[in-house]
Amino acid sequence: MLLAAETASSLMSLGLTLPLWPLLSAALVGIMLASGRFRGMAHVAVIAGALVAAVLGAVWFVQLAPAGDGHGATGGVSMDIAPWFSLGDGQMVGFNYYLDGLTGVMLLVVTSVALMVVIYSVGYMKDHHGHRERGYERFFAFLGLFIFSMLMLVLAGNFVLLYLGWELVGLCSYLLIGFYYRKPEAAAAAKKAFLVNRIGDFGFALGIFALYQYILPHVQPGENALDYAVVFRHAAQLTADQVNLVCLLLFCGAMGKSAQIPLYVWLPDAMEGPSPVSALIHAATMVTAGVYMVARCGPLFANAPDALEVVTWVGAIGAIYAATMAMAQYDMKRILAYSTMSQLAYMFVALGCGAPDSAVFHLYTHAFFKALLFLGAGSVMHAMGNVIDLREFSGLRSVLPTTQRLMLIGCLALAGFPLLSGFWSKDEILHAALEHNFPVFVILLLTSFMTAYYTFRMYFLCFHGPLRLPAAAGAHPHDAPPVMVLPMTLLAAGAVLAGYLGVAIHWGSPLDSFLFVFQGHGWFHHYVHNGSMVVTPVEHGSGSAVLYYVSAAVGIVGIWMAWRRYGTAPQDEPDRKSFGPLWLLWHARYYVDEIFDAVFVQPLRALGRLFFAVDRAGVDGAVNAIGGTPRALGAVLRVAQNGMLQSYALTTALGIAVLALLWRFVGTP
Amino acid sequence: MLLLTLLVVVGGIGLYMALPRGRTAPARGVLALLAVAAAAMLVAILINLPSGIVTPARPTMVALSVLALLAAVRVVTHSRPVYSALYFVLLVLANAGLLLLMQAEFLATGLVIIYAGAILVTYIFVIMLAQQTSGKAPYDTEAREPLLGCLAGFVLLAVLAGGIYGTAVPGELKRAGPGGPLAAEAIDVRPDLAPNAALLSDVNRLSEPGPGHGTTERLGTHLLTSYFLAMELAGVLLLAAMVGAIAIARRQLSGMEGAA
Amino acid sequence: MLIPLVLVGAALFSLGLIGFVTRRNLIIIFLCTELMFQGIVLNLAAFGRYPLSGPPSLDGQAFAIFLLAIAAAEAALGLALVVLLYRYRGTLDANAYKVLKDS
Repeated sequence: MLLAAETASSLMSLGLTLPLWPLLSAALVGIMLASGRFRGMAHVAVIAGALVAAVLGAVWFVQLAPAGDGHGATGGVSMDIAPWFSLGDGQMVGFNYYLDGLTGVMLLVVTSVALMVVIYSVGYMKDHHGHRERGYERFFAFLGLFIFSMLMLVLAGNFVLLYLGWELVGLCSYLLIGFYYRKPEAAAAAKKAFLVNRIGDFGFALGIFALYQYILPHVQPGENALDYAVVFRHAAQLTADQVNLVCLLLFCGAMGKSAQIPLYVWLPDAMEGPSPVSALIHAATMVTAGVYMVARCGPLFANAPDALEVVTWVGAIGAIYAATMAMAQYDMKRILAYSTMSQLAYMFVALGCGAPDSAVFHLYTHAFFKALLFLGAGSVMHAMGNVIDLREFSGLRSVLPTTQRLMLIGCLALAGFPLLSGFWSKDEILHAALEHNFPVFVILLLTSFMTAYYTFRMYFLCFHGPLRLPAAAGAHPHDAPPVMVLPMTLLAAGAVLAGYLGVAIHWGSPLDSFLFVFQGHGWFHHYVHNGSMVVTPVEHGSGSAVLYYVSAAVGIVGIWMAWRRYGTAPQDEPDRKSFGPLWLLWHARYYVDEIFDAVFVQPLRALGRLFFAVDRAGVDGAVNAIGGTPRALGAVLRVAQNGMLQSYALTTALGIAVLALLWRFVGTP
Repeated sequence: MLLLTLLVVVGGIGLYMALPRGRTAPARGVLALLAVAAAAMLVAILINLPSGIVTPARPTMVALSVLALLAAVRVVTHSRPVYSALYFVLLVLANAGLLLLMQAEFLATGLVIIYAGAILVTYIFVIMLAQQTSGKAPYDTEAREPLLGCLAGFVLLAVLAGGIYGTAVPGELKRAGPGGPLAAEAIDVRPDLAPNAALLSDVNRLSEPGPGHGTTERLGTHLLTSYFLAMELAGVLLLAAMVGAIAIARRQLSGMEGAA
Repeated sequence: MLIPLVLVGAALFSLGLIGFVTRRNLIIIFLCTELMFQGIVLNLAAFGRYPLSGPPSLDGQAFAIFLLAIAAAEAALGLALVVLLYRYRGTLDANAYKVLKDS
């Protein structure tokens, strides 16, 4: 079932080494850097590592496929690799993998997108003359390290290992956002990402602590309380309060990592990193770790209705909130960042509505088209001499035709254009929302309209209208070189086709099957169900395809409106006139950064200064006083230490005299 | 008691004034006054002692005591080292006299021979050796911390004297002073502490001196029997001191830092 | 007889102490230690002769004899050191020797 016995056993043992290959490649790059030779070969090592990982990831994906049509959850498999450390109480934390359908999907997504991005980076990290950028090797080493970390996060079989991977990807994110560390904005963005994530991770760690505390009494001898399998087995024994608390705390971590309200502020700034990093880390993989984690903890969240409610509403509000901000931005990558946040919020809504399979499906399709969009934006940026402001250029379809075509596919997929991957997955989420929570459904529908609108606003601003080029682009901007086009093409294929894994072919009436052919919940869902995930069964009753028509209409109308307003005269900003102050508010991103700065950063900074002053005057002062007292006393007494024996003798004599007087007039005790 | 305290105070002030200070030599008048006052008070004390054993030796003892104290004062206060040394010889002679009164003939003789004959001669040699310059050296004419020194010394002396004066002495003084460490009734003669009955009876004859009798013979026996090991050790010590003194005095200056 | 003798001994000792503390000539300082020894010798002999309890004994004299030995040894060594110091610094001023002081 899980593994076809012997034929797979050798592959399996090789497969266990999956995360090590990128790590090995990163280490190899480090050695190259240290030796000072083969520096130009850095990408070869990392591509090789990513390639091996991708092949093994695909193998695992196939191996983890459920046999037959097993719709019921068969449970994941925990594989112990090595012991790590003991917690006392007979509890061990080990290096172990937890393998199920969710793991398989994540492995496929992470390794394939990573491979594409690494290949793309070879072209991106060189200028038009083929000169490598400063820090070329460093970049690839970090990428290798990131792939390793992400795979560890995905494969982890217990919460401690998960936390390890969680923090490692955070570290890699920090390193790569701050890749251009000479740029103050990049350094500040890296710091911001790290600090904001700390807040979430603090909650996450508390959640793990609480979980350990609560689960320990239920654990049988020989079971390790933090292993997924054990936690899921005993999840039902926790009280409602306990499980709600644990889930909310864990969700804190997800909010930080997956950029949800209110911890999203780092994601737009993270776009200061190189575009491939934005594509891989801040769109396809790392930011989805929160979604993955909540889906992974399905058995916990399934018992925590209050936490799920919170997840749903945080998602719903985040979705529309991010969409509004995306509507009024000019920085291409920031628009994409807000859309990422919005799409992640969709996934959280799905999680909250008891449809984690749909959430993971959207995660999977989103990874392809959003990576494609970021790589396309990177391609534009590369051609424009690192200019990404949409006001600086327009009409690029004549100079960057390949990029334009690929970007169009990505935008259509994001906008939810029918038959592309984004359409299928987004519709499922809408479906889940409709069944569970009507207000949230309305919000999501509105958001998906806005998504289509702002995506194509960006597209038209960039590629339509009269040709204008920024000075930095030079006279003849080059379209993407083949090494960049190839991965983008593959990702575009994914953006178009990936959704069909999750669609069932069912010939029927147009009301039951979209366009007579398609129904939701296909093979992909069977695949994902093979594991710990807790899914509310979905009915494919009559009229279930109606929603497809609605969402298709919404997407198309959104695109059409964008065409009406921006397709012909992209330089104008009609929205600014239509929405007035609201637009300005969106453009200023609700002044959240400024509010955070005023509410948190400045008071904290003042507090820090206060502490510093207290530390200087109080603590240091006290310590110095403690040190200074003997010094001062010593300075006084040093006078007596004049080195003349007679002085000492005199002192002794006086002392004896005083003692004698005491003896005489006070007496001995 | 009052007299004793007064004696100590006057003695202290007198000594303080008599200590060499600067170029001004100590006023002879002050010194004389001090000596007369101290001697008078000492005599007064000694006479004032409660009636104890009255022996013909008492006036001699008073005279020798006064002589010893005066000599000691001069040793401490004289600004010429040679005179100090000579006064010290006088002190030793007076001390030897006191010892004779106590029937310690051997000790008295030894004191004179060793101190006056050997040690003081060495001192005078060294003084001669070191005192190359004519006139008084500044470090001889100026005392350091005279006030504190006198204070310490005389406070000590006052306490000691008070304690001694208040001590009950068997057969001599029946009046226990307040706070005296040994009240008469507290005295407990423990016969088991007596070292040797034969020796005890010998020693008891100390108080009956006769011609040809002294303590010398018994002391010699005592030293070479009871204190034999200590005697030998003392000999070793003297040998070691001699070797050490030669080794130190012979040392060349080349190896020393900051040789003048 | 004990009290006046012991008083004299105490006075000699105190005078020696005062001299030791106040005089600046190294030789006189040593001489003052001898002065203190004198007081002690007198003391020992007096206590031996007129003990507070029991019959007179010769132990006091014996101790005094040993004291003489110690004094002789001390004088020999001390004077040797004084000679050495004098050759070293050319002065007998005790204040000149302050190498014990932390520089």
